Amino acid sequence: MKLVIDDTRCKGCNLCVMVCPYNIFQEGQQPNQRGVFVPGLDRPERCTNCRLQQLYQRRLCGVCQTICPDQAIRWVQESPFEPQKVVIEY
Amino acid sequence: MSAEDWFREDRLPHIFCAGCGNGTIINCTLEAVDSLGWKIDDTVFVSGIGCSSRAPGYIKTDSLHTTHGRALPFATGVKMAKKDFNVVVFTGDGDLSAIGGNHFIHACRRNIDITVICMNNQIYGMTGGQGSPCTPKGAISTTTPYGMDETPFDLCELASAAGANYVARWTSYHVRELTQAIKNGLQRPGLSFIEVIVQCPTNYGRRNKLRDVQSMITSMKDHALLKEKRDRLLAEGKPIPDDMFVVGTLTDRNRPALGVKE
Repeated sequence: MKLVIDDTRCKGCNLCVMVCPYNIFQEGQQPNQRGVFVPGLDRPERCTNCRLQQLYQRRLCGVCQTICPDQAIRWVQESPFEPQKVVIEY
Repeated sequence: MSAEDWFREDRLPHIFCAGCGNGTIINCTLEAVDSLGWKIDDTVFVSGIGCSSRAPGYIKTDSLHTTHGRALPFATGVKMAKKDFNVVVFTGDGDLSAIGGNHFIHACRRNIDITVICMNNQIYGMTGGQGSPCTPKGAISTTTPYGMDETPFDLCELASAAGANYVARWTSYHVRELTQAIKNGLQRPGLSFIEVIVQCPTNYGRRNKLRDVQSMITSMKDHALLKEKRDRLLAEGKPIPDDMFVVGTLTDRNRPALGVKE
């Protein structure tokens, strides 16, 4: 699973920065097109939900998603690994 | 289904100010509703007038956006006509305690089987920051420029005294506890009242030296006193600080309820 912030909904209140136990969210530095300082992600693969949601089949932690007043934080399915045929030229 | 499926995606982002906690409470409510497996067609959200009362507009279920303070009488009507429906009322402090105060105590007295979620931002946020009955003592608003000198309403005590079955108070920072409290309230027959203290950085914080969301949340967190701790302090005979408000499940009982399907 992959953590994403929807920058069309985020209003830059930085509540996620305050609550994340892993400090994944960092205060935004650059305003986006709408003038909102959307928080940045610092190594989001550390998030428990990203790593273990598939294994436990339920949402773990998820405080950032619940506290986000703008419903901007969610997890999306990463496209599964597809084995590709390698052509070896002799 | 998940809580995200209850949102009207085409209406988002909502109009609440940056940092307003009303969205958090909608998240918690929808998560609780969703975890109980309620259907969108059997759920009705009712609201009055105010910032908080815009919440049902972002939810897919049927909803009633009613006149100021009269959300509870409308909800009573819905519940009496359709006992199978699950009725949830979103309301604010100005809506519930100021103009709708009388409806509130009578809804608690009748103990109708609805859930009332009061987003108490301690001010009239939508109309420009006038003092409401829940504005704390000493707080500055546009109508109290030298500080509020009246004692605020304690809505949870009022609901308990008037006869509600389940009364709880949390803040918008305590999302896990709030979700659990809403879930308990939804399952309980009779009127369940959940008061949520919510931050309003635009109209309350700006005038009270809590301009950003972080400082408002920190002040809410610091002034919340757990009910268990309050009981312990009382048992030990120690004084309870004046500026603290009690959070937790305050009343949980089984009085006979109105509108419960046999």
